Amino acid sequence: MQEAELVTPGEVLGRAAELKAGKGAYVAPHNKTIYASLTGLRRIIPPPTDSADQRPTVEVTGHKAHGPVPEPGSVVIARITKVMARTASADIMCVGPKSVRENFTGIIRQQDVRATEIDKVDMHLSFHPGDMVRAVVLSLGDARAYYLSTAKNELGVVSAESSAGAAMVPISWTEMQCPLTGQIEQRKVAKVEVN
Amino acid sequence: MEINKQLGSPASFVDQTVVPGDVVLDLSTMTNKTIKLGGGLRQDCDSISVMKAGKLRSSKPNKYWVESSQKRYVPCVEDTILGIAVDSKADNFLVDIKGPALAFLPVLAFEGGTRRNIPKFEVGTLLYVRVVKANIGMNPELSCTDASGKAAEFGPLKDGFMFETSIGLSRMLLSSPTCPVLEALGKKLSFEIAVGLNGRVWVNAASPYTVVVVANAIMNSESLSSTQQIIMVDNLLKSIQ
Repeated sequence: MQEAELVTPGEVLGRAAELKAGKGAYVAPHNKTIYASLTGLRRIIPPPTDSADQRPTVEVTGHKAHGPVPEPGSVVIARITKVMARTASADIMCVGPKSVRENFTGIIRQQDVRATEIDKVDMHLSFHPGDMVRAVVLSLGDARAYYLSTAKNELGVVSAESSAGAAMVPISWTEMQCPLTGQIEQRKVAKVEVN
Repeated sequence: MEINKQLGSPASFVDQTVVPGDVVLDLSTMTNKTIKLGGGLRQDCDSISVMKAGKLRSSKPNKYWVESSQKRYVPCVEDTILGIAVDSKADNFLVDIKGPALAFLPVLAFEGGTRRNIPKFEVGTLLYVRVVKANIGMNPELSCTDASGKAAEFGPLKDGFMFETSIGLSRMLLSSPTCPVLEALGKKLSFEIAVGLNGRVWVNAASPYTVVVVANAIMNSESLSSTQQIIMVDNLLKSIQ
């Protein structure tokens, strides 16, 4: 049975003896009550029949402010905003297949651009502002940005615009070519699987 | 609709004044030729069009570019320029080069530079430096050594007087053979001069009088032809004598 009651943080959802705390809920240890920690709809999920603990799980989900959040290890799509001598800043746009609902910033450091010869990396020959890159989240980083890495074959620039304004075509893992002018520009290109 | 200019060979436009939008070359009529484009020109699929107003210049065998004079400097790799130290950080000095962004001068980019003998520049020090990296959107990177790592006259400039000129004038002062105004001044006066391609010129001499004469002569020669420059310098020196 699914109840769809709107709850806010701090509201009592039930008792720990009867329910398990799922997403968006937590158990207060001093009085063994389950409180909500997010805003959303309260849902009760029945327990799997073969588990030892037969309590249903209560969770708080479904509010439109809950977009996906980058976690360490998740693959994200980001747009490069600034390229500097040893780092590049990017705006995270999607986590996995879903687009995010709020601003997340990522940083790609010089040593995380590729796996080989990491001290000879030239950031300008790997990314340009405006490129879309596929990267993996290394860690939550510092207060300002997540740390991202493109150090794998399938990570790197997936889409870039040439200086003439056309979408470039990848020709190797380091080069992309403009279809209008034929000029070749250097990027760290992602190896996209062709099905 | 305006009539398009005749697209003949590019030679018809060389040494003429061009404005943005002029198409100077149609690539579809040429086969198997390599053309090198410099500043101010851009390739639009099959045609080469002008981006900056100025004179179209070319050099054998196949280089074309637009020359114009302005006061704003756009950093370019391997330019030698005069910068003013504005700040110092852990790894770099911040240097103002009259461009769109402050440039970084790495603390180790000096001959024999190690972590133990980092130079200290006061705010306002004039530096003669070389541009190492100049990408769009990134701060330019400078160096006080030449490509082989030697000091080669780069570094801080002491005493003397620095004044600003347009980019075109500083290019003319650095042209070879020696530009007429410098040659005429050099015959009568002795002075030391450093010209930055970003529109800054530094002059030093034994007496302030010489420095002022040289600076004024250079600033006057902005739009003069070679013979006019020589006449101007002669008049200046005569009226001072």
